[in-house]
Amino acid sequence: MRIGRSQRFDQARPFVVLGAALAAWLMAPVALRSLVRASFFEMTAPVAAVSSYASDVERFWSLRLHSKDELIEAGRDMARLNASYSLEVQQNGELQAQVERLEALLHMPPSERYRFEHARVARRDFSGWWQRMVIRKGSDYGIAPGDPVVYTGGVVGRVAEVHAYTSVVELVTDPGLRIAAVVDGDTRPVSYQGADNPVFGPPHGIIEFVPLDVYASASAPKRLATSGLGGVYPPGLTIGRIVHVESSADGLFKTGEVEIDPRISELTEVTVLVPTDPG
Amino acid sequence: MTETTRNPGGLVESRTGFDPRIIAFHGLIAVLLAVLACGLVYQQIIKGAIHHEQERLQNERRVIVPGPRGDIFDRNGRKLVENRSRFAVVLYLDELRQEFRQEYIRIRNNYRASGDQDLPTSAQLERLARVSVVQRYMDQVNAMLGRTGSVDGGSLQRHLERQLLLPYTLIDDLKPEEFARLIERLPVRSPLQVYTSPTRSYPYGEAAAHVLGYVGANEEADVSELPGEGLTTLKMKGTVGRDGLEKQFDSLLQGEAGYTILRVDPAGYKVNPPIEIRHPVQGRSLTTSLDIDLQVAAEDAIGDQTGAAVALDVRTGEVLAMASEPGYDLNVFSPHLSVAAAADIEARKAWTNIALNGVYSPGSTFKIIVSTAALRNGVITPEDEPADCDGWMMVGNRRFTCDNGLGHHGKLSLSDAIGYSCDIYFYTVGLRTTAEVIAAEAKRFHLDRPTGIELPGETHRMLIPDPEWRRRKRNETWNPGDTANMAIGQGDVQVSPILLACFAASFARGETWTKPTLLHDPKRPEQHTEPIGLTPKQRAAILKGMEECTTEGTARVLTTLEALRVPGVRIAGKTGTAQIMSPEGRVDEAWFICFAPLENPTIAIAVAIQGTRPGENFGGGQEASPIASAILKKYFEKRRPGLAAN
Repeated sequence: MRIGRSQRFDQARPFVVLGAALAAWLMAPVALRSLVRASFFEMTAPVAAVSSYASDVERFWSLRLHSKDELIEAGRDMARLNASYSLEVQQNGELQAQVERLEALLHMPPSERYRFEHARVARRDFSGWWQRMVIRKGSDYGIAPGDPVVYTGGVVGRVAEVHAYTSVVELVTDPGLRIAAVVDGDTRPVSYQGADNPVFGPPHGIIEFVPLDVYASASAPKRLATSGLGGVYPPGLTIGRIVHVESSADGLFKTGEVEIDPRISELTEVTVLVPTDPG
Repeated sequence: MTETTRNPGGLVESRTGFDPRIIAFHGLIAVLLAVLACGLVYQQIIKGAIHHEQERLQNERRVIVPGPRGDIFDRNGRKLVENRSRFAVVLYLDELRQEFRQEYIRIRNNYRASGDQDLPTSAQLERLARVSVVQRYMDQVNAMLGRTGSVDGGSLQRHLERQLLLPYTLIDDLKPEEFARLIERLPVRSPLQVYTSPTRSYPYGEAAAHVLGYVGANEEADVSELPGEGLTTLKMKGTVGRDGLEKQFDSLLQGEAGYTILRVDPAGYKVNPPIEIRHPVQGRSLTTSLDIDLQVAAEDAIGDQTGAAVALDVRTGEVLAMASEPGYDLNVFSPHLSVAAAADIEARKAWTNIALNGVYSPGSTFKIIVSTAALRNGVITPEDEPADCDGWMMVGNRRFTCDNGLGHHGKLSLSDAIGYSCDIYFYTVGLRTTAEVIAAEAKRFHLDRPTGIELPGETHRMLIPDPEWRRRKRNETWNPGDTANMAIGQGDVQVSPILLACFAASFARGETWTKPTLLHDPKRPEQHTEPIGLTPKQRAAILKGMEECTTEGTARVLTTLEALRVPGVRIAGKTGTAQIMSPEGRVDEAWFICFAPLENPTIAIAVAIQGTRPGENFGGGQEASPIASAILKKYFEKRRPGLAAN
């Protein structure tokens, strides 16, 4: 049975339309494409946020299903934790005051101050290309692109995009993120960069420009921390553990591998450090 | 035949038949097609390789990156020369083609919109656009680093024309904190990147500057063995040794160059990822025989004076220290020697390695040669007292004085004559021994030729004169006064500090020659050359005199002065003072040679210090022996850790 010309066109129509749409998209002005992209993200962001809230509610109700005794026990544990945290907060306050006094005595310039914005994680987006997460706070909380993001284990990453109610955080495991770091016990800056991380593999990064007299191995790893010299991250935040270093062929430096805390892929809450004096 | 019929529509219908013209036409087409096919075969198959090569040469570029140089260590594994990384922020111009184009259009439109009649030419607009784009990136860097750099249009244009594929340096030699800021703030995929290159670094600054040498820029790296021969090649600047060990062992230290072969478009911009990459590899390391502690001790002891000191391992000939002052800080050569720094070195006359290139009369240190010659030829015995020194003697019609001590040594044995350096004794012995015999003895100790140490530019101006030489070179006769002068190491006798150090080491072993080396080999066998040819009794007499020199003779400060004493070590030494001409007039040159411990020598030293003012009281005992003492103290302190406490 022969297929008529119009029938053949009908069959090809979806491809033609798709091709035309793609061509129109590619030929559209950059401003329009950016606007469409941003609008799309803003429109889909509530979906991620609602989904995240729904997970929180689900978790809340699953916790409510525990017996009263368990809840009372958990409450006691939390009270103890709260008490110890309160004590630490108080001690930190005293130390901070002491640091400020010493800085004033030495006429040192004031160190960079941050406001802490705690935010829930709405979505995680891990792929071979990028490692990102979406948090449930955006420009409404004064978050700006480039702000450092941390958690109890150290560095989470850096804010890459900010929308009205959400922000996209580029994780420390993302190949596009680079940090000026220092090896524990050393003051010379090295370059840390996220590596190509497999989706289900252990997160890791790479370090470059490591001085030749720095040694580390899986059996004797070294802590890698932020240097504070780069101007984005405050000093001393843990990035990961250096588990391997080797000399480069040119003999100038060593390069190495950094093991990142696997908790980073399961975070539910992070803290954005918003500079109080962005200037 | 072709038949045509007219159909109802009016169209002419033709029918192909056996028309010879058509056949001829077809034949012609066939021939032309055959020609084309042949041409195609010729071009594609026979000349295909040539075209492919031409295309390759036109579309590919080779970028050569020199390998970092190897490190230089001292004998104990301490790094004397290493590579310091130099950070620069660079811009990869080949990634900015689109931006250049957009900026070009923007500037052109602005001119047109302003109604300016004097519109720049296309080339001018292009240059403006490029500078504008690069300055924009420079401004980004300025904002990050708090600098105020600007782009030099001329250098940018030259770079674009000649080295488009190489990164364009915006700011060189970044501080560590600037490096850190850029690492953290520059996007990973930005055309702006931090670039590292090696530059020489000298952890000990001035120490051993003349021995280690320095490097200079090298734009003529040998790339003949790298793939991509014939391609247009862009080379990043490397370095080449210009002096000292850096020059002597350049081929060993020189790193293995890396290369990148890139495909470019007709405008020279990079397209696609590189076709082939090989990273540079660091050159091999060199372990010198120097002991940096001894080296620093020697240089510190010489201080602001002009002179040199050489210390050798008696058994192997390895150079433990080779100091020459004035010196210079090698770090001023890195990355480039400034005009001011070069002028300063020139003004202080610090370029010369005096240990290797300074030639002076050896003065009384030569008396050891005269003694050996006289003993070996039976002119004297150790117990003989051939002269009665009362301060002067006549040789021919010329008065020769004894310049050492009070000038009234009286009758002396060989040992005492060496210890007190009695000139009258050696005038007498020298005249009896004859100039020819003394010269032959000095030549037996290789004092008439370069040592052949692994350093470039060792002097050839050393001289052991004899009557034959005098007749040949100056057409003059040799007279007894010349022999007397020669007997106390004056006159035309000329040696370098390294030569006298080798002589001291040879004499310490009871041999005639020591081949010095600057390379350390823990398994190096002991040197053994022609025996000195003295009986044990004869040699013992000379050694006794040399020890006397350091205990009660001309170098007695080594034992009488607490600060110079080397506890528990017997030193055999000989002082010397000679006169040299300087711009200020005739000044003294103070010598001291020694070896220790006397009973089993392991280190031999020669020190030469130049006086500064004519007529000043200057001698080997006062000026040169303290420097040897500093070296010996450091040497024995390391071998016997308790020595410093003593």
